[in-house]
Amino acid sequence: MSRVDEILSLVKHIPAFPKVAQQVMAVVDRPETRAADLADIIKYDQAITANVLKICNAAYFGLPRKVSSLDEAVVIIGQDILKDIIITSSSARFYRGAVGAGYQLEQGDLWKHSVACAIMAKLIAVRVEGADPGDAFTAGLLHDIGKRILSSFVADDFSRIVDLVDSGVSFSEAENEVIGMTHAELGGRIMDKWKFPEEIVAAVRRHHDDDVLAGDLLSVVVALANSLVISMGIGVGVDGLATRMRGERLKELGFDDRALDLLMAELVTEMEKAEDLLHID
Amino acid sequence: MKVVVGISDMKVSNTPGDTLITYSLGSCIGVVIWDGRVKVGGILHYMLPESSIDPDKARVKPYMFADTGIPRLFKAAYALGADKSRLVVKVFGGGQIMDADGVFNIGKRNYMILRKMFLKSGVMIAAEDVGGTVNRTVSLEVATGVTRLKTGGREEVEV
Repeated sequence: MSRVDEILSLVKHIPAFPKVAQQVMAVVDRPETRAADLADIIKYDQAITANVLKICNAAYFGLPRKVSSLDEAVVIIGQDILKDIIITSSSARFYRGAVGAGYQLEQGDLWKHSVACAIMAKLIAVRVEGADPGDAFTAGLLHDIGKRILSSFVADDFSRIVDLVDSGVSFSEAENEVIGMTHAELGGRIMDKWKFPEEIVAAVRRHHDDDVLAGDLLSVVVALANSLVISMGIGVGVDGLATRMRGERLKELGFDDRALDLLMAELVTEMEKAEDLLHID
Repeated sequence: MKVVVGISDMKVSNTPGDTLITYSLGSCIGVVIWDGRVKVGGILHYMLPESSIDPDKARVKPYMFADTGIPRLFKAAYALGADKSRLVVKVFGGGQIMDADGVFNIGKRNYMILRKMFLKSGVMIAAEDVGGTVNRTVSLEVATGVTRLKTGGREEVEV
């Protein structure tokens, strides 16, 4: 079996994304969906219910009072944020343990990077006309999910990859050359298997493409969020800043130096509020 | 004791057993200063060049910006008895992602303002490791001034 085949067979065996999250995503955007309908779906998953309450009470969502029941939670926080919480809660399990060790990430680093990227993507999306903040949050949270599988392959060929990066190629290009697949492409395949909407799958798959900023808005938002979070050094491993992006389109989209600086400044404050998200089960 | 300097943070110390450390400098810059006579050391980890983009934030988080953070680092060391003429100053970080269009240049801007400020106030840089596409972790032993640099994928070195 070739290495790419071996990797693809691992995709087949990755645990399913929680059904509850899929069901919520399927109905959340329908106008007839009410908060109570969402509560009815969620209540069958105890872990998610517990996390929804825990995260609802986290400072990030800034609720005026403590929420103690699911019915109460869904009424107060609204459907968009509820969807973010369910996605966060459903994703955390895939980032547990030594995920990302091949990238020299410490335990918890990849999750921290992912949460930061989700929050940054949302900050960016609300500033870009036509971008969906909820999709941005989801794609940001899961953009590096491919690292979960690719990590051990990176570890196997670590010195070859690092040597290539030293010679001036991006880490992603080095993954492709040495392993035959990038973590972004692999992430896209996992997202596809989990039946996420095509635009979210594409944003995950494309987030390291050199020309990503020339493409669809969601991919632009996620790639920019990732580049900013990497620059800030949040949950960054051996791949460091060795990622390519042609920045020209940023100006067209209205992101000058000042706008980029402000996003980074804002994320520092948002991450302090989101501390609770980093410690969910 | 290990004293961690976070993002947009600064620590100074004259406790002999302290090691100051700042992790994961991407486009941010870590400024390390040390006075060998009084054994005072400090590290600043700033993220952005100019506080004028958000004066409110700069009031709450002055170490986020070069122009508000750097003077505070030096003053905090002076308060512990350090003297400008004896301070050894080292600079790390300022990396950036690979943007052929040159638009995404936060690391470079972070470094340029530091050079400008140091030139103006006559501060010499004893050692530096800046730019490139790497992530850096830097530590300083307060008692000895030993400064160590760990760059992603490589062994730690003394600088």
